[in-house]
Amino acid sequence: MSLVFDIIEQALPASAAVGLAASGELVTERVGVLNLGQEGLMSIGAVSAFMVGTNTANPFLALAVGALVTAALGLVFAASVVVLRANQVLAGLAVALGGVGLANQLGNGRQGDLLRSRFRPVEIPGLVEIPGIGPALFNQDPVVYATFTVVPVVLWFVLFRTRHGMNIRAVGENPAAADAVGVRVTALRLGYTTLGAALSGAGGAHLVMGYTQNWSIGMVSGAGWVALAVVIFAAWRPYVVVLGALLFGTMRSLGFVAQARNWGISSFALSMLPYVVTLVLILIPAGLARLSSRVRATSAPGALGVPYFREER
Amino acid sequence: MISTIRFERRINVDPRRAALLRVAGVVGALLLAGLLLALTGRNPFSLLWKSIDGTFLERQGLEETGLLLTPILMNALAVHVAMRMKAWNIGSEGQFFMGAWAATGIGIHWAGPRALELVVMAVVAAAAGALWIAVPALARAYWNVNEIITTLLLNFVAVQIVAWFSFEIWRDEEASIIQSTPVVKALLPLFPGSNTLYIGVVVPFIVAAAFFVVFRSSRWGYEVDMIGGNPRAAEFAGIRVKRRMVVVLMISGALAGLAGMLHLAGPAKRLTSSISTSYGLSGFIVAALAGNSVVGVVVGAVFIATMLHAGITLQSDGLSVYIVAGVYGLVLLGIAIGEVAARFRMVRAASVDTAGRAAVAS
Repeated sequence: MSLVFDIIEQALPASAAVGLAASGELVTERVGVLNLGQEGLMSIGAVSAFMVGTNTANPFLALAVGALVTAALGLVFAASVVVLRANQVLAGLAVALGGVGLANQLGNGRQGDLLRSRFRPVEIPGLVEIPGIGPALFNQDPVVYATFTVVPVVLWFVLFRTRHGMNIRAVGENPAAADAVGVRVTALRLGYTTLGAALSGAGGAHLVMGYTQNWSIGMVSGAGWVALAVVIFAAWRPYVVVLGALLFGTMRSLGFVAQARNWGISSFALSMLPYVVTLVLILIPAGLARLSSRVRATSAPGALGVPYFREER
Repeated sequence: MISTIRFERRINVDPRRAALLRVAGVVGALLLAGLLLALTGRNPFSLLWKSIDGTFLERQGLEETGLLLTPILMNALAVHVAMRMKAWNIGSEGQFFMGAWAATGIGIHWAGPRALELVVMAVVAAAAGALWIAVPALARAYWNVNEIITTLLLNFVAVQIVAWFSFEIWRDEEASIIQSTPVVKALLPLFPGSNTLYIGVVVPFIVAAAFFVVFRSSRWGYEVDMIGGNPRAAEFAGIRVKRRMVVVLMISGALAGLAGMLHLAGPAKRLTSSISTSYGLSGFIVAALAGNSVVGVVVGAVFIATMLHAGITLQSDGLSVYIVAGVYGLVLLGIAIGEVAARFRMVRAASVDTAGRAAVAS
């Protein structure tokens, strides 16, 4: 049993970054914008948090800077695809490529720098006493708690229990109809694409300051692409998104546990496992829809990736 | 007179104008990159001159650019053929890796006749590339699963497989480089008259010529373009869209795999996990730049290979290879915005008041 608890304890911090980024992509896609740039956004968030984190003792400050810088990049992306109506695939890939390149250029030469701020585990009194599962679940850092509780609860509540959330979903589903009843399509798309980018940046920041606790070139290593896959797997539902991220984190920590316990499996085989599992995850909903006609093939927002032109309504 | 600016969609997009605006987007992005360089205290003009000097005015530079051109043009053609169907193969990097991996397997274990070895290496590498994209291709065609994400995820798996084999399974015990397989025995001949460039450089040009003919004058090529234009119409016309999608994506994977073999049996000689320095991504940028034109792919590949070679020469000036990816990002954004500009025109719409008066006057 202790093995399971070990894996859970390590899986949570390993999945927080993907969980945040996937939650960010979720709000972005809910307003109908496909941001394929997750990998670049997370890289920028990671490197800017790292640069601040080596100079300050406050990890929340570094996280905030990471999120803000990434939001600025997200705003550039949002302006290109929402205002100028550039092709979302091309612009998203531009952010992915450019963000990774820029982050590596900025951090190059600082690889060995020591972080002065990092997120430390905070015990939840009482719950942490539960034998076994207690220390695994309730001795995590604040960002991990937030990723699995506050973020999905707030997203779910806003999206499905408020009028504002209904407007958000309407913009993603049918912007012309939303526009006709007075919802400000452009403003919502701009705002939530930027907010989504900020969440991804926070994810990248946590990757540096909560998980790896150092920065290296190319350290995001596909987490952004995994986040995109997780949103599809989760069928655009806030809770399932963080659970999908947790599955990725579990596979990742499984690799480290296996190495630490000397199971004799090649570390290379273990490090490809999370990506293979993610690939299977993204195939599951489509496969299920094939097998059973009761499962809908896709629950993607109707206008996902489609620019909106009022003149052509 | 009050007037506002409005965007109006063009009904017909003039291809020449579209190409021009695409190029303008690229130039704009490069100017922006130059401006950023200038802001960090470097002189973009002297860098530009150095890169031209190091690439075109020296024989060595030209040959090195040719070496870069081989995998880039090959990968670009791979991405291009998929893009004609509006499918995005962003995993050509992974297929390249798997092609190089498969070719190495043949190269270090081959016991058959010498003359056949290179041919078998090429065929197996192409097959490996095609198989590597098979799952994303089938999932896209039959289950409508986004191929951008699936092909990209497989890149990370391919890199690990290559690292695994070069660090552990096929590791060369005697080599001074510990992270590598032994050198493959069969290497491609050098390009006549060159001592750096391999004969492999002609292969992508042959493929490009074949594509040019196929997409200009064959039924198969016309049908692929038709699917790219309107898959539903193609379906009604009796084309088996799904099957064609799988075939085209697998051709795309095979080309990227073959590129891996050409690189391995040429300049690389042995398998390492750094055998590709983002050739797949470069190929992707070229294909995005070129749109639906095979000639555009060739021109774009020459352009990117030159830029990349310049990037390598510039590293001595305190610039890292990473900045190249940053510039790629800007270039892509430039293309995306240039494309929009081609589809719309700005009209200065007179306000209602003046329009009404104008109507009365006429």
